[in-house]
Amino acid sequence: MTLDPASSVAILSRFRKIGIIGVPPLEIIRGANEHGLVIHDLDEPLVREDLETASPYLPRVYCAILRTAVVNALHLELDAIYADTGPGKCDCALHTATILAEALPIPVICTKNTDTVACGTPLCQARLPLIDRMLAITAGVKSAAPCQNPPDPCTPTAAFWGVPPRDFSILGLFPDTTHIHGWARCMENKTPADHALEAQFNPEVPTVFFAQSFCAKTALARYLAKKHPHALYLDVDVHTTSSARAKVQAFLELSGVRP
Amino acid sequence: MILGDFGTSYCKFLDLDAPGAKPAIIATKELPRETRVDLATGHNGKRFADRYVNELIALARGGEALIEEDEYVLLDCGSRDIKFIRYANGKLADMGWNAECGASMGFTIELLERYYELDYTRLRVPEQTFSVTCGVLGMSDIFDAVISGVEVAEAVARFVKGIAINAYRFAGSPAKLYLSGGLCDNPLFVGSFPCQVTALGRFVLLRGLEAEAHHPSPPPVS
Repeated sequence: MTLDPASSVAILSRFRKIGIIGVPPLEIIRGANEHGLVIHDLDEPLVREDLETASPYLPRVYCAILRTAVVNALHLELDAIYADTGPGKCDCALHTATILAEALPIPVICTKNTDTVACGTPLCQARLPLIDRMLAITAGVKSAAPCQNPPDPCTPTAAFWGVPPRDFSILGLFPDTTHIHGWARCMENKTPADHALEAQFNPEVPTVFFAQSFCAKTALARYLAKKHPHALYLDVDVHTTSSARAKVQAFLELSGVRP
Repeated sequence: MILGDFGTSYCKFLDLDAPGAKPAIIATKELPRETRVDLATGHNGKRFADRYVNELIALARGGEALIEEDEYVLLDCGSRDIKFIRYANGKLADMGWNAECGASMGFTIELLERYYELDYTRLRVPEQTFSVTCGVLGMSDIFDAVISGVEVAEAVARFVKGIAINAYRFAGSPAKLYLSGGLCDNPLFVGSFPCQVTALGRFVLLRGLEAEAHHPSPPPVS
């Protein structure tokens, strides 16, 4: 269902546990935090169930993040789902929300996040393990509070552009001095529909332009990779394949990036 | 120091401590389980050595050792996958590794030669080609063509040409490319590329390992 923003917030008081798909508007998250709701980020693997359980609802050849969201939605006991289907997410999420609304006995509320207030991107520019920073960024969508004790920025030696991958293991190949760009940076900034921020990259450092296979962002990732003077375009589906790992490893090493 | 390139169908070895020694080849299915080398590459390599270099890095280092130009495309066509590196101004500019949609192309070419008792040195490059993106799926085109009356040799030659064109496109459709891998010895395959081809043979990755053995550390970022 689609409600006006005020109604979407007002009905939060009826729920105890909600799932989110994408990044719903900050006022929704703030309201959920104020009511003490448990928030599950359905885009992340949360349950030990086969991804095939999503196949009756979505094609097998489909975004692995949304297939994961469907598996989570089917197996978690939720009171409602807030799915962002605006310019900060994608048409695939809109269609997934339509399908879930019919398949589940709970309300599936579509939102359109057009937030423009920048909350900053300290994690994207910090010198810390890339996996830890990406975990913190994805955890951050469940809280309306800004980043506590933001780390200092570092000089980058490499960059990762894209969405948080379904399989974080590929992030372990990057050095701690890797800056994050793309939609993951928009997530930390709490402006997921900021397409100008999403398209930014640093031409001075070797950059891996990553997208989930079958995601519309593969076009943007490949387009930007062609514009960047030293880039690797990479798309990965459910799990990081050995050839994907080898490509990243070789790209970084042959670019002179130290681990 | 013994170097090993552990491929899907063939393994190649070079002993750096034996001056003038030539690389040795052994079919992977005949490889003794207890084999150990000092430095390995290839998708089977991790099992046989303590130190492993991934295939793209070995390919790139081999290219740096064998090719004098600053700008080139080096394409490796193996049994299981295809991969390429492109250098511009003496630096890595692009790379690719297709282990999924390029699956089993080299393996299928060898399989067809044996199954149909063909000799690729005697087959001419055909005018027509199949649109082949995968060795396994491409076999259907051969069967369909044979059923429709095309000679087996002609159908297989179209398949081989289709694989060469697919690999050429994968490498970015260059005007000239350097070719690595066992398919360098297949004149039908080499002749099917719609561009100038320089065949470097099947030991490019071993040359890359040799370079890694001498210069193991990458230069720091400037």
